Amino acid sequence: MENLVMATPERSVVEAVERMTEAPSTAEPIPACTFQVKNLSIWYGEKRAIDDVTLDIASNAVTAIIGPSGCGKSTFIRALNRMHELVPKTRVEGTVFLNGEDLYSSTVDPAIVRRRVGMVFQKSNPFPTMSIGENVVIGLRLNGVRDRKFLNERLEKSLRMAALWDEVKEDLHKPGTSLSGGQQQRLCIARALAVEPEVLLMDEPCSALDPIATAKIEELIYELKAKYTIVTVTHNMQQAGRVSDYTAFFYLGRLIEFGPTTKIFTNPTERQTEDYITGRFG
Amino acid sequence: MIAHKHILGTFDESLAALRNNVLMMAGLTERSLERAMKGLVNRDDNISATAIADDEEIDQLEKQIDKDGVDILLRFQPVASDLRRVVAAMKLSSNLERMADMATTIARRARKLNQHPPLAEVELIRPMYDHAMSMFKDSVDAFAREDVDLARAVVPRDQKLDDLNRMASHKLVDRMAQDPDQLRGYLNLIFVGRCLERVGDHATNIAEDAVYAAAAEDIRHQTAAASI
Repeated sequence: MENLVMATPERSVVEAVERMTEAPSTAEPIPACTFQVKNLSIWYGEKRAIDDVTLDIASNAVTAIIGPSGCGKSTFIRALNRMHELVPKTRVEGTVFLNGEDLYSSTVDPAIVRRRVGMVFQKSNPFPTMSIGENVVIGLRLNGVRDRKFLNERLEKSLRMAALWDEVKEDLHKPGTSLSGGQQQRLCIARALAVEPEVLLMDEPCSALDPIATAKIEELIYELKAKYTIVTVTHNMQQAGRVSDYTAFFYLGRLIEFGPTTKIFTNPTERQTEDYITGRFG
Repeated sequence: MIAHKHILGTFDESLAALRNNVLMMAGLTERSLERAMKGLVNRDDNISATAIADDEEIDQLEKQIDKDGVDILLRFQPVASDLRRVVAAMKLSSNLERMADMATTIARRARKLNQHPPLAEVELIRPMYDHAMSMFKDSVDAFAREDVDLARAVVPRDQKLDDLNRMASHKLVDRMAQDPDQLRGYLNLIFVGRCLERVGDHATNIAEDAVYAAAAEDIRHQTAAASI
């Protein structure tokens, strides 16, 4: 993990052709799924943000959610860890199963859901009063872990998984906000990983980063999928094409098309998907 | 499928320019092959020389299409049908350039033939030429109109061209034995037949690329893959 090779932003024509010709069919079933979303609708007051979405999210794979602004991408992934409930007057219909458990069952504690389903946001948000080290283990501390040896081990492990250890191991006491934007984002990923979630949600994790920091995060996403199920929202079509195994296209709160990324980006079935990804929308 | 315009007008302009250059290149290649055949049949060195001279413009167009294609990939990072069209256009230009090389070779062979008495066996070449040109025109037409059915129909027609070439070659080899004084002439006709057979191969490639561009389906090497 520590010897990460930077992702190459542009793929060669030959690679692009190979990917196209290897594109699996949409009919190919997902091998195993972490989330099973069935007939999910979400309202903010009177406004329906998500409209009857049914979608399986594959385990140990990256699923990209794409679509124009306001299409419900962020609402959808926030529904996967009940984060949207923090917005007042929210109402949900339908079901979301996480590894067979109904996330919206009345017996389920949202705090535990959010521990099992970690999240990284568009803008990095390390806790400003905490050091790098404290930022990473805060989740464990809040869950009552006090064993210093265990915390130190988990600190190093999480930072290594986030490909940040080598860059910060001498500076763990420095404020998290002293890091660069890309490092702060990887710190937030380390913080999310420290509580060992089952899923990592990412809401436009690279939109505020330069190409080098973006490449590091993309490479990290690729590495992390071996252990985690990852769902990422992105406005960057090329990024979705590079990092994801499956892509879901949302429009006006509805799931228009879902399938293997190679299929969606070479030969989408729906005209709306084609128009959006090729830049013909509007 | 009639595509909507892109939000970026310059993207549409670049794609249209790329497509126009490919179609222009196809038109020039067709003309070059016609001239090469005319030079052969009419024993006209001037027309053969024109066919050879045509190659330069076609070579330059190939370079222009490659450059434009790379520019589009770099600037617009196309996906889906746009990406397929750009990739297919670049592959088409490569096939067209090789077809134009075949026209040049035919014209050169024709000029050599013209240094000797006419051979009646040149008539063996005509059905091959007609068949190869028919495949060529249909493959380019299929690409231009995104006609998947027409493109698919081109591919099996290559077998007939191979058969015609084999038959012509056998007859010409027989004639070489019977009339060794004209051995070089018969050999040149065999080379011309071989060039037309290659034109058919390139037309097949273009038809396969046309299917890929229009329907995202790779129909290349299906017989070989099926037998593995």
